Amino acid sequence: MEAISDIGGGISARKIDDKTMILFFGPQHPSSGHMRIILKLDGDVIIESDPDIGYVHRTMEKLSETKEWIKNSVLFERLAILDAGNVTQAYIIALEKLLGIEPPERALYLRTILSEINRISSHLYGMGIFAIMLGSSTGYMWFFGDREIMVQLAERITGSRLTHTYHIPGGVRRDVSKSFFEELEKGLNYIEKRLRHYEIMFVNNPVVRSRIENVGILSRERAIDLGVTGPNARASGIDFDVRVEEPYGAYSFVDFEVPVYKEGDALARTFQRMDEIRQSISILRQLSKSIPEGPILNEKYLKLFTPAMKEVLEKDKRIKFPAIFTSLKPPSGKAYGRVEEGRGEIFFYLESNGEPKPYRVRVVTPSFRNSILLKYLPVGYRLADLPAIYGSIDYFPPEADR
Amino acid sequence: MMAIGLLEFIKNLILWPPVFYMLIAPGLITIMILLIILIWAERKIAGRIQMRYGPLEISPKIGGAIQLLADLMRYMFQEIIIPRTVDTLPYIIAPIAGFVISMLPIAAIPISPIYFPSPVNNSIIVALALTTLPPIFGILAGWSSNNKFSLIGGARESFLVAAYELIIILSAIGAVIIYGSPDFTQAVSAQKDLWGIVLNPISAIAFYVAVLMATGRFPFEIAEADAEIVMGAYTEYSGLMYGLSMGISYARMFVYNLIFTLLFLGGWYPFFTVPGHTFFSYVIIPATIIILKALIVSLTMVFTRAIYARLRIDQALGGAWKFWFLFSIIGLLWGGAIVLLQGRI
Repeated sequence: MEAISDIGGGISARKIDDKTMILFFGPQHPSSGHMRIILKLDGDVIIESDPDIGYVHRTMEKLSETKEWIKNSVLFERLAILDAGNVTQAYIIALEKLLGIEPPERALYLRTILSEINRISSHLYGMGIFAIMLGSSTGYMWFFGDREIMVQLAERITGSRLTHTYHIPGGVRRDVSKSFFEELEKGLNYIEKRLRHYEIMFVNNPVVRSRIENVGILSRERAIDLGVTGPNARASGIDFDVRVEEPYGAYSFVDFEVPVYKEGDALARTFQRMDEIRQSISILRQLSKSIPEGPILNEKYLKLFTPAMKEVLEKDKRIKFPAIFTSLKPPSGKAYGRVEEGRGEIFFYLESNGEPKPYRVRVVTPSFRNSILLKYLPVGYRLADLPAIYGSIDYFPPEADR
Repeated sequence: MMAIGLLEFIKNLILWPPVFYMLIAPGLITIMILLIILIWAERKIAGRIQMRYGPLEISPKIGGAIQLLADLMRYMFQEIIIPRTVDTLPYIIAPIAGFVISMLPIAAIPISPIYFPSPVNNSIIVALALTTLPPIFGILAGWSSNNKFSLIGGARESFLVAAYELIIILSAIGAVIIYGSPDFTQAVSAQKDLWGIVLNPISAIAFYVAVLMATGRFPFEIAEADAEIVMGAYTEYSGLMYGLSMGISYARMFVYNLIFTLLFLGGWYPFFTVPGHTFFSYVIIPATIIILKALIVSLTMVFTRAIYARLRIDQALGGAWKFWFLFSIIGLLWGGAIVLLQGRI
């Protein structure tokens, strides 16, 4: 926006430009989300775009310093409720590094299964919002309706639909039964079939395609300069995925590709997400075939179990926490955790001074890194392209504001 | 005696063509019933495609068919908020006048070969002229609301008006020159054997698409694009005023489809009479045939919501001027060629 100049008497004013209009897109707008974009329009063309974020800032980093280590995982999964498994996983990976403890192999597999289920549901959610921003109500209902399958599968594993709180230091909270994998296969077959329908009805629909092809082009160099992450970067030709660069969970045991597109427009970003869903389906099939039997919590913690706890674990296949979990005291030190979330890389930095509460937690979320795109991408496009660009970068304000 | 005289008077008043047309069929009451059917069908069809029920809770036994009545009742009890910064008089007038005037073309649209309110020889021209009035009130609403989103909505509406009106009028002329008369009754009787859509399919398609554009159906729902400009020109409206402004596009669509039926779909043909019942034969049967045809065309128009997304304004205007305008001129030439072939010139 223009500089605000002092016109004397302590009153500041902005010079009025006759040819342009300033439009406040949000925070109370059907498609702005919890944020405001201040637009400068020349006719119908955006000449300046200024994203104003922070409307849902919940002081998560500071708040976490007042809570015990294990309670923080419940706090952090509120960053991105529909991708909760991945967010907590990054936090728990960092915490496990501080504690010096490793989860057993079956727990790693279960974590990765939840990660991929979350990734599919996160992508379906993002594309649903994208569809309604373009006016395609059928796309919106289809994506949201089919996401229900993934949410219910996550419920079968963890016991809750959205905020799973599944990961605990040294393992996972619940085991799954054999019948779960049959249901998983059914769900995956359904999503695989539906992906073809989405292509016919939504992506290759002539109207949708004309709206998103060559809109919001992000070049490779620009993407690197702006520090963009996740599917948005991969749609601009950057071959980067934390699952490959720094494998965690069971990703080193499976075989998968990272889809990369060169075009960098809204269409490429949509296709990239569709391809990621296909890859996730393939990963889930491999995992469900090769998942090993065994404990779901590290032996070191299993030793602390009372007979009653062991009975619950035996019978219900779920962990009843030993008392030590509420007063975990990691030794002094620093650690980080990186996880490829649905929207990109999430990074946790933890610092402990040997107390039952963290000394410092720093979170860098993918949506925060991608939010800068809203300043540079819409410039030069029309007002009607703003929802198309906003939807295609899958920006999620609660995650960015922390 | 008095009672019989009064009943006779009321019967004559109701059956007086201007009253019958504007109030009963195809006017206010028919349009209200059709609004309920259309909006219900739109939501039910979309629901069917989108893996959901659509409206249901209000009346589960009839599939939620009276949902719109419940919505209207809610609108009636809702406070009508008039912002302090609006230009009050045009702000209040715009949706009311817009809704009333959107039904005005009915005065010139006959639903029967012998029974009509105003026996004009140029009824097609009068009806088409009257259909061009309601968008003015949309633009007025956008201007008087003193809101940037309303202003953009009004501006988009005015751009679209310039694009679609010409296509509608050109494609109507493409049909009129075949029938050789700007009178609906003669146009319909000329379609006794062969419907206009067969005689001049190009003009019919151009007319259909232009009506989609005129009434804000998908993919041309541009002036009220909620993801971009909230509710377009009607952003600042609430309560019953909002309900009226929603009804305008449906009422306009139905009126346009009455014209489409008379020009291209053979009007009241297949026409038949029941001996001994003059009113039944010459008013009720043709009116039912026409309204049913217009309803079916309207249903195909609301169905587009479930398929398409929304175009950008530049894409819609480019398509209208670069393609559909030329297409309607081709339709006009096609009509001329048919006249030449028939050897009437």
